[in-house]
Amino acid sequence: MSELIKKDETAAEHAQCMLNRRQFLMYTGTTAAAVSTISLNLFPGEAHAKARVVGYPRQHIGKLSQLKENTPLDFNYPDKGQNSQAFVVKMDGAKAGGGIGPQRDVVAFSYLCTHQGGFMNGKYQAVGEHRVLGQCPLHLSTYDLTRHGIIVSGQAYQSIPQVLLELDGDDIYAVGVMGLLFGRNQNLMESQES
Amino acid sequence: MSSKYYLPEDKTPLPPVNAEVLTTCCDYCIVACGYKVYRWPVGTADGGPQAHENALKVSFPSGPLQAWVAPTQHNVVMHDGRPHNVVIIPDKDAKAVNLAGDSSIRGGCLAEKVYNPDKPTKDRLMSPMIRINGTLQPVSWDMALDVATEVMKHVVNKHGVNAYGMKTYSYQYIENTYAIKKFALRHMKTPNFTYHDTPADVTSTPGFRDAGFDNFGPSYQDWGSAESLMICGTDPYETKTILFTQYIKPAIDAGQKTVWINVRETAGIAYAKSRGNALFLQIDPGTDVPVMGAIARVILENGWEDKAWIEKWVNNKWESDSGFGQGTRNTPWQWRTTWGKFQTKGFEDYKQWNLAQKEYDPKVAAQIANIDPADIYKAAEMLAKPKADGSRMKTSFAIEKGFYWSNNTGNTNVVSSLATICGAGGRPGQVVGRLGGHQRGGTGGGSYPRNKSAQKRPGRRRQALDCDRYFYSGHTRFAHVIGTTWIQSMCGSGGLNAKFEELVTNNPNQVRSFDKQEIIDTLKARADSGGTVVLNQEIYLRDPIGSRFADIVLPAATWGESDFIRANGERRLRLYSKFYDAPGDAKPDWWIMAELGKRMGFDGFDWKDANQVCEESSRYSRGNRKAYHMIKVAAHAEGKTLHGKLRELGTTGIQGPTFYNYKTGELLGTKRLHDTTVTEEQMVAEGRTTGANMVNKKGTHFNSQTGKVNIQKHPWDLFSDYWEWMKPKEDELWHTNGRINEVWQSGFDDVDRRAYIAQRWPENWTEIHPDDAAARGIESGDQLLLFSDRVPNFRQTIKGVHGADFNFAELLKNGWIELNKAAVTAVAIVTPHVKKGTMYSYFINTSQPSNALQGRVPDQISGNYNYKMGVARVKKIGESKYKSEFRSMSFAPRNIV
Repeated sequence: MSELIKKDETAAEHAQCMLNRRQFLMYTGTTAAAVSTISLNLFPGEAHAKARVVGYPRQHIGKLSQLKENTPLDFNYPDKGQNSQAFVVKMDGAKAGGGIGPQRDVVAFSYLCTHQGGFMNGKYQAVGEHRVLGQCPLHLSTYDLTRHGIIVSGQAYQSIPQVLLELDGDDIYAVGVMGLLFGRNQNLMESQES
Repeated sequence: MSSKYYLPEDKTPLPPVNAEVLTTCCDYCIVACGYKVYRWPVGTADGGPQAHENALKVSFPSGPLQAWVAPTQHNVVMHDGRPHNVVIIPDKDAKAVNLAGDSSIRGGCLAEKVYNPDKPTKDRLMSPMIRINGTLQPVSWDMALDVATEVMKHVVNKHGVNAYGMKTYSYQYIENTYAIKKFALRHMKTPNFTYHDTPADVTSTPGFRDAGFDNFGPSYQDWGSAESLMICGTDPYETKTILFTQYIKPAIDAGQKTVWINVRETAGIAYAKSRGNALFLQIDPGTDVPVMGAIARVILENGWEDKAWIEKWVNNKWESDSGFGQGTRNTPWQWRTTWGKFQTKGFEDYKQWNLAQKEYDPKVAAQIANIDPADIYKAAEMLAKPKADGSRMKTSFAIEKGFYWSNNTGNTNVVSSLATICGAGGRPGQVVGRLGGHQRGGTGGGSYPRNKSAQKRPGRRRQALDCDRYFYSGHTRFAHVIGTTWIQSMCGSGGLNAKFEELVTNNPNQVRSFDKQEIIDTLKARADSGGTVVLNQEIYLRDPIGSRFADIVLPAATWGESDFIRANGERRLRLYSKFYDAPGDAKPDWWIMAELGKRMGFDGFDWKDANQVCEESSRYSRGNRKAYHMIKVAAHAEGKTLHGKLRELGTTGIQGPTFYNYKTGELLGTKRLHDTTVTEEQMVAEGRTTGANMVNKKGTHFNSQTGKVNIQKHPWDLFSDYWEWMKPKEDELWHTNGRINEVWQSGFDDVDRRAYIAQRWPENWTEIHPDDAAARGIESGDQLLLFSDRVPNFRQTIKGVHGADFNFAELLKNGWIELNKAAVTAVAIVTPHVKKGTMYSYFINTSQPSNALQGRVPDQISGNYNYKMGVARVKKIGESKYKSEFRSMSFAPRNIV
């Protein structure tokens, strides 16, 4: 869509950005970094030093001060197309991998189960110290939202995709996705790249 | 600090329209879902996102339940020497098993199983190896095979055939198991032979066999069409996923009552409870017999038994005693019942016996099992109380290892009797069976020479040899190990490991030469000196059997690397297609056995391909539950091969036993065994009775001497001395173990080589109840030491003479039980879903096998281990990194609904 950032980058910068994605995964909540993260999609056919890349949009999804504890706020990402349903939630102080905010407890995930695409709207649960998404109504998968959306119990082929967040003052931005959204062959759809 | 993690990808290639499509099935659990393999050469165009641009014929993004390709479902393999993309996804056109292409997390990640030098599968064994100067070094096939067979011949000639022992998988495809058994049983004729999961070649479910129930008689639909279902010792959502999600869950949603016996509450149980029609009996380990005996008593006291069924289908006094000669006098059933411990004079006799036993008083039973007595009455009502109009519910009974490996004989006896009085066993929706285990890939290549066994119980017959004890006694001079870790997968594995070290590694005769004859001479000297030589056929180098103990390692080809056939948990036979080249010099086990056989001078090992092995084996399947002989007859009538015919049947395959209508040319399957609603006239009309078709009892009757069910006693006192002795003392807790949904039995695939699964389960773990944890200052994520100084080990191969010689109390008194120490470490998961007083561990983390804590005392009747029975003390020894990191593991309970 119009928010998609398309720009020319050098391969070196590309590598640097990928490194940042990994650093995101390593992130354990000890620092309050706003990680600048862009997933890049190399177009084939150009073996030059410069490659054309397209990145995830930086999309404003809400304000930290407006999030209610344990109450998901829905948004679409990385576009408004099919299978883009996602939510951001402040998990009432439960520190999480990839969590932002002073308590590292604000995270965002896709709503679509990565098993067979069950829609898990309304399936956010706070149980004691645990924060899970599920059971999926189709085949009962549950995901641990404090641990990058890893499967707790269930049948999914990968973790529930985590939407990478940045905090800029009180503003929360979605800046990328870890993992392939259910039903897509790539998160950034070709039709939107032209 | 860093721990295991994976970096999820955010794109995946789609198979192009012209991709080749092959069918296969999942390699893991017995449900055996159908899969499709899409293959196209690397360097050619991938498919596009529009339906007409890809082989899946779906537009992307796809919707819920439509085809999709996750990054874990794509890989690159070599095919005909050229790199190819493969996408392996559940068959969306499946007409059987995984309807509409459902899948589990295990099958969903199948593509990660294949060899890829850039992926974690890169360490597949590529070449035969011999241990020289302590290191396994690549050698030619000829050299490895020559050395192996020369030493084998010497051992057999000098020390007798019992000194040659084989420990093998029972399930890894019909072609392989046939060749393996033809070698070990038909030609070697050794009684020192057993499978991966048991110390002796014996039935897993003695009570089923003696009652007359086949383990896998029911069809999957039967589990869904039952109105009331008792599930013992498993949660099929965790271990037989598609059976639950496609058959049982929809039934629960439609009102099916479920009664569960288990020590822990996992997702399937929690879901059933949330629907309001489930009862969960969370018992203490090993107490199933009193609980189910008490449920039976309540049913009998209320007169809720299925009288018409019992009248027609349960053996009376005379029938129980019938069938001499090759009948019951020569069956395991009669052999076990010689003492009158199990045999009854029919239903009334059983009833009187049950009512006379104190432990089947619901109050007593509930106290033993540590549950609410009211639940026993409730269970009886849910399983057997007739409806308001007097009609009966359709009730079925399912068991798996948590149940039958707690008290092997007692539990399988009690469930058989309870099921029978509820009218289960021989009608649609009224069935009895197992829910699990490996797929059924065994075929007889020879019969077990029981008479050569050195082991004998009190009573008339010899017993299949306990290969662990025989090895432990130092009698096994040549150990041939195929596709199993042996040590970790057995109970009390610490003792076994120490014995391997003593007999193999610490023996002075170690190979120091590169000269073939010197190697052979050294290994012969090892065997002659009382040591053991180890030959290991594997796909990965396993620790310790391969990496530390094997003298010779032979690399095996497996799933996807040769055409194979196998049956699933409803006896459905399918072809598992070869779709890529095996790594390096790896060969399928049937080929390896053929080469060994030829060198041993055995005839009949000159097969050219897998189909030839399969076709030769088919006649030995006649009459058994997955009889596939008639597929060959049909195939040949059509000018095809057996494999070729099964390939046509794709992921649907056909349910055994198979039949062939010679008039119409139609190949016929069998929906369920023991189907008492099928008549002889029907069988004749369908053409199932002529020519090479084999009709036997199991199709329409039960596997007993009369074709009716033997209702059996289930004496608690055969087991209660062991249970009382084992019961936690002081600060001990029960320690039991089992599987977890995300990991199949194949740790070599899952936790060792799948980044996603390794991230979920990076280490050994133990679940502990919050109360037990708090009392010991333990929190989730703490590193624990589980330890015991009283792991009972039955030491030697002995012969029993008097009736009670093999009772645990007698063994202990007579000095046959040695108490060993064992310890394993694990990460704590504090969770209310496990019963208070009980810890639950993963059963076979090969670095810290929790089996080390479980008592190595085989069930005295059957010869199986009661793996689930153990105790341990537990203490915190530190904190794991998972306590403070967020990348790996999860401590969330598995019963969140």
